[in-house]
Amino acid sequence: MKREDWKNKGKLINVFNRNLFVIDTLVSSNAIDNNKETLVILHGYPTSSYDYYKVLPALSKQYRVIIHDHLGFGFSDKPLDYSYSLIEQADFALQLYKQLGIKKVTLLAHDYGTSIATEILARHNKQQINLQIDKLILSNGSAHIELSKLRIIQKLLKNKITGKLVASLTYYSIFKKNMRNIYFDKNKVNNEELKEMWTLLEYNNGRKVIHQLTNYINERYYFWHRWIGALKETQIPTKIIWAKNDPIAVPKIAKLLHEEIPNNKLIWIENCGHFLMLEQPEKWVEKVLNE
Amino acid sequence: MTSKEWKSQGLMIPIFDKKIFTIDAGDSKDCLVILHGYATSSFDYYKVLPELSKHYRVIIHDLIGFGLSDKLENQYFTIMDQVEYTLELWKIMGLEKVTILAHDYGDAIAKEIISRKNAGFINLDIKKLILFNVTVPINFNEFVDIQNILTNDVSKKMSAMMASIAIFKKNIKEMFFDKTKITDEELTEMWYLFECNNGRDTINFISNYISERKIFWFKWNKALEESKLKIHLIWGKQDPLATENIAESLSEVLTNNKVCWIENSGHFPMLETPKEWTDCIIIE
Repeated sequence: MKREDWKNKGKLINVFNRNLFVIDTLVSSNAIDNNKETLVILHGYPTSSYDYYKVLPALSKQYRVIIHDHLGFGFSDKPLDYSYSLIEQADFALQLYKQLGIKKVTLLAHDYGTSIATEILARHNKQQINLQIDKLILSNGSAHIELSKLRIIQKLLKNKITGKLVASLTYYSIFKKNMRNIYFDKNKVNNEELKEMWTLLEYNNGRKVIHQLTNYINERYYFWHRWIGALKETQIPTKIIWAKNDPIAVPKIAKLLHEEIPNNKLIWIENCGHFLMLEQPEKWVEKVLNE
Repeated sequence: MTSKEWKSQGLMIPIFDKKIFTIDAGDSKDCLVILHGYATSSFDYYKVLPELSKHYRVIIHDLIGFGLSDKLENQYFTIMDQVEYTLELWKIMGLEKVTILAHDYGDAIAKEIISRKNAGFINLDIKKLILFNVTVPINFNEFVDIQNILTNDVSKKMSAMMASIAIFKKNIKEMFFDKTKITDEELTEMWYLFECNNGRDTINFISNYISERKIFWFKWNKALEESKLKIHLIWGKQDPLATENIAESLSEVLTNNKVCWIENSGHFPMLETPKEWTDCIIIE
């Protein structure tokens, strides 16, 4: 899918005076959708809602699906004078849901999005928000940052000395190589798709904020007790859907989450890398919807 | 006043999974909630409480990890967590409309509360915000300088300070303009309150606290700038840490503010010049 086609499926919504790009399947459908439950999706780093283009049709048969590009990603605004903390990303997501009138959700998160989800959970556990969360679905995110195998590029970008420089030097070929490496089956990598993803990263001067976005890795250390604590405390039924061949968010993280979260089910996807929804879309959707 | 006497004036209130030491004095309808500074506790206010509580219902709690409240083992309690426990405490105490007064470390908690208020996430009605001798300037370049000093110098100094009672006393004393205004007994009590229940564990996390401020620099200053609240600054002029430039730059940027200067006073004006400090609050 071309990025322009994806863009046409969504719209820009003003949240806290910034524009967020939002896909909301209710807008384009009929009244039957009003009875569907809502699925909200928090996408990963450094990509965007576009990761879900293959699975959106199947997901939207069962759910009203809402996916937004986090601030600094995809088609959303990428302001320079901004902290880009995961906590602020949670503020934006919660405010967006409020503006859309959503009170009850299934919350699905991947990668970077899982940390936003844990911040939402922390507030939910402490009764700070009104959102009812019926179900939680987590896919390949390094909540246990101590176990994750960071790419060299991530280490360089998160470093406050090298970050800016590396960001300015990061170009398509590096991005492409890094993305290919986190697929299990390199044949599944589609160059046109990668080109669209890269363009989405570059859109709105995105390269100027990428080193700030990468600071989330440090936050996972600072907020470790808060976020892992939130997972240990939650009573929300949780599905952990994990790609077994992810070189970053390794299977060990899923096993540990499986031990820690009170009410969860662990589901593996074999022969699959970090981007499950792109590499094994049918299998991933089936696990999300059916198990 | 001894810490034991202070303890007898307050209550341990269970909030979620922790117990929070809380002072609740005065029966005015006008509520003043106080957020104390780093490494110290509600005890900083023992001299001003009698006068303040004639004008306000005054609520001061020991932040988690400090004073007589629960402390944590080998763990940093983030500002976000402090905010949620604080809001829950105020809710349980039935506070609906408050004036928030914050000193030093407490300003970060106040700013996060204002940020959530601006976003419409909380219902608490805030009448006014009073900041005094807070260490974060509003200009980003100054902030970066100060953070570098903090990271390289103050955090080392603070680590050393908390490692022994002698250095703790010496460093707190240095924050006073007139060193005779703080007695050895008071310093001993402050040390006890810091150190009891393995409070020294806090030292390991000073750098987290500084990093957290860095992460939220834009968020928190934006919260102040966008807030429509009346903001009142009170400043001990000879504070070596929160220098008067910080107050000046804050005052320039914030709308709807005024500054009440206190001459010949350092980082702890409520202990060093209690009368003048209390006047700044009461006279408005």
